[in-house]
Amino acid sequence: MIDELELLKKDWQKKEEHLPKLSYEEIHNMLWKKSSSIVKWILIISILEFTVPHLLYLIPSFQDNMEIYDKLGLHNYIIGLTIFTYGVAFYFILQFYRRYKEISVLDSSKNLMRKIIRTRTTVKHYIIYSLSMIMVIVVMMIIGVYFDDDIFSSFSQLQDKAKSISAEKIKISIMIGMAVMGVVLTAVMAGIYFLLYGLLLRKLKRNYNELKQLEV
Amino acid sequence: MNKKLEHQFVTELENNQNIVHKVCTLYTNDRDSHKDLFQEITIQLWKAYPKFRGESKFSTWMYRVALNTAITLYRKSKKRIQTQDYESVIFKIKADEYDPLEEQQLQLMYKAVKQLGDIEKALVFLYLEDKDYREIAETLGITEVNARVKMNRIKNKLRTILNP
Repeated sequence: MIDELELLKKDWQKKEEHLPKLSYEEIHNMLWKKSSSIVKWILIISILEFTVPHLLYLIPSFQDNMEIYDKLGLHNYIIGLTIFTYGVAFYFILQFYRRYKEISVLDSSKNLMRKIIRTRTTVKHYIIYSLSMIMVIVVMMIIGVYFDDDIFSSFSQLQDKAKSISAEKIKISIMIGMAVMGVVLTAVMAGIYFLLYGLLLRKLKRNYNELKQLEV
Repeated sequence: MNKKLEHQFVTELENNQNIVHKVCTLYTNDRDSHKDLFQEITIQLWKAYPKFRGESKFSTWMYRVALNTAITLYRKSKKRIQTQDYESVIFKIKADEYDPLEEQQLQLMYKAVKQLGDIEKALVFLYLEDKDYREIAETLGITEVNARVKMNRIKNKLRTILNP
């Protein structure tokens, strides 16, 4: 086998004349083409992940939701939570930026892969944190409903339809509805996210693990 | 200044383009993907060029960037049907040295190498390019001992592929 590989080596070095040859102009034109590297995709996707949830607040129906928080007496908590959320988001973006800057194609393969995975992990943690925040808000709303003495005025659209049902029952159904919605929403978002994440990094992780296994 | 740098870079790459073509040959299966990967490697080389200060040879530096792009950064574009004529162009044997038995053996070897994983291909590539184990290890970020161990495993694997 060694001999066969040596044979291949000799032949390989003779191969040069069969290789394509690009002209100066052809190479020059390539300099200005857009990169489609995985690192660029990670940057784009991560920026989307950091900004999209914040853009949601600009949609009118989301602003309506803020009224419900007021009625449930959660206004101050939500303001506090929002400040906290922006602080944390800022921290994650900074962390992401630092790690992103460390990625260099001049590193050894193993280091390059490690740094890409690390950068991506920052965003993964941000997503996990964001999803848990959704759950926290849902739990806060459920508690808000529980302590709300005048449930009909908080959910004005219920007033006409639900006169015949007792306030207690309405409260319980709203609480169950919110809990179910919260869990489903989080699960669906997490599912989509981790599917995307997995697909993007599948090849890279496989190669990285192969290099890492060697060190054991 | 920028124009000068551009000219310098393109000239160096033009003279050393074989290295990139060989990487593309190993990691892609058709002409379009070959061109795609070549382009991505060129972009990465150009982006990193300001950091290349001539401490090592331009070609040495190219191996690392080209392999890193092929193994890690390059996202395979849509699956394409493997075209037979592409293979034969790349793996063509010189007519005057034609030896049917040897050619058959070489073809099988090339096919076997193409079946290896990304990392294994990188090791074989550097080996075929006559790099020593120290350089192979440095490029991939593993120890020299592990590079040797891995290479022996690859040899065994190739043997299994060739003699199922």
